[in-house]
Amino acid sequence: MQAKLRIRRFNPEDGNKPWWGEYTLDNIHRTDTVLDLLHRVKWEQDGTLALRRSCGHGVCGSDAMCINGANALACKTLVNRLGGKDDVVEIQIEPLPGLRVEKDLIVDMDPFFDHYKSVMPYFVNDEPVPADGRERLQSPEDRARFDDTTKCILCAACTSSCPSFWADDRYVGPSAIVQAHRFIFDSRDDAFEERLAIMAEEFGVWRCRTIFNCTNACPRDIKITAAIAEVKRAITSGKV
Amino acid sequence: MAALTEKTSGKITVRRVKLQGNVERYSWLFMRLSGVAMLVLAVGHMVIQHVLNSSANLTIQFVAVQWSTWGWKTFDILLLWMAIPHGTRGLYTVLADHIHNPGAIKLIRSLLLLFILATVIWATIAIAMFDSAMVP
Repeated sequence: MQAKLRIRRFNPEDGNKPWWGEYTLDNIHRTDTVLDLLHRVKWEQDGTLALRRSCGHGVCGSDAMCINGANALACKTLVNRLGGKDDVVEIQIEPLPGLRVEKDLIVDMDPFFDHYKSVMPYFVNDEPVPADGRERLQSPEDRARFDDTTKCILCAACTSSCPSFWADDRYVGPSAIVQAHRFIFDSRDDAFEERLAIMAEEFGVWRCRTIFNCTNACPRDIKITAAIAEVKRAITSGKV
Repeated sequence: MAALTEKTSGKITVRRVKLQGNVERYSWLFMRLSGVAMLVLAVGHMVIQHVLNSSANLTIQFVAVQWSTWGWKTFDILLLWMAIPHGTRGLYTVLADHIHNPGAIKLIRSLLLLFILATVIWATIAIAMFDSAMVP
């Protein structure tokens, strides 16, 4: 099987505008991932291609990019999911939209992580440890409330697929709301009021227009729009 | 084990939170509630004016008959109170996404707020004071 790759290239040091690099790979398998193909381009054809990747198995969240117009992890996207006729598959690969491109498929993640930090994404509980000196227990039902949002790997596929974020990057974005949700709905955490106050600000949850791009983009299948709706409801009802 | 039993009682911990109100929050809530209200008011208005009655018959006499009762006056005033702020807030939302200059967006917000107040007050007075007997 053959793959025809069209990759958005950009090098800030050569002074040229972004351009499309076209690469043909032979003898690929339907079970290859897009990351496998990018490796082959980099290792066999053009060593200057820049991309981020680390674990290669959908856990670290380094290789989120825009594949055939939709944000996804390159290491979790198989060739056979991208169609292809006559044993040829055409794949277009771009950096994540909405974030400044540093080089080729590498984007500046600072705005994304600034929003992440702004929601206090850490456990807050100043109460003394339990008498037995062990863990703070909670019921399975309490644990289940934020189970879905614990799965986030901070790949930015959701935030960079969000038209509200494209329009105004002061919007905290779906990923940061997911992170806030994970702690707001944790019955052991005591900073839910502060986090909800951050979420209720002008560039908090209200900028979400329930477009669902984030939910479609999430490689961990987190129900992001539902999580955002839960945060909105907590703010308006005053109940967590 | 006592603590474990207590925590596995199957109950979800509900905590109360009291946040300071802000315009964004109340506007968001208003958009949802007015949207639901308009499902009845706006759709009802459409059905009455254009389905049950012919659009061709929408004359001042037709309006005079409707507005001779306080029931229909209240219906239309409620529709006015929901529709004008809802639509204008929607316009502001779209503009605020794309206009990032704080001064410009503040000016637009003030102008749209003025538009809402002027239209709602003016039209409410017009409907409330409408005297069907004056129509020939």
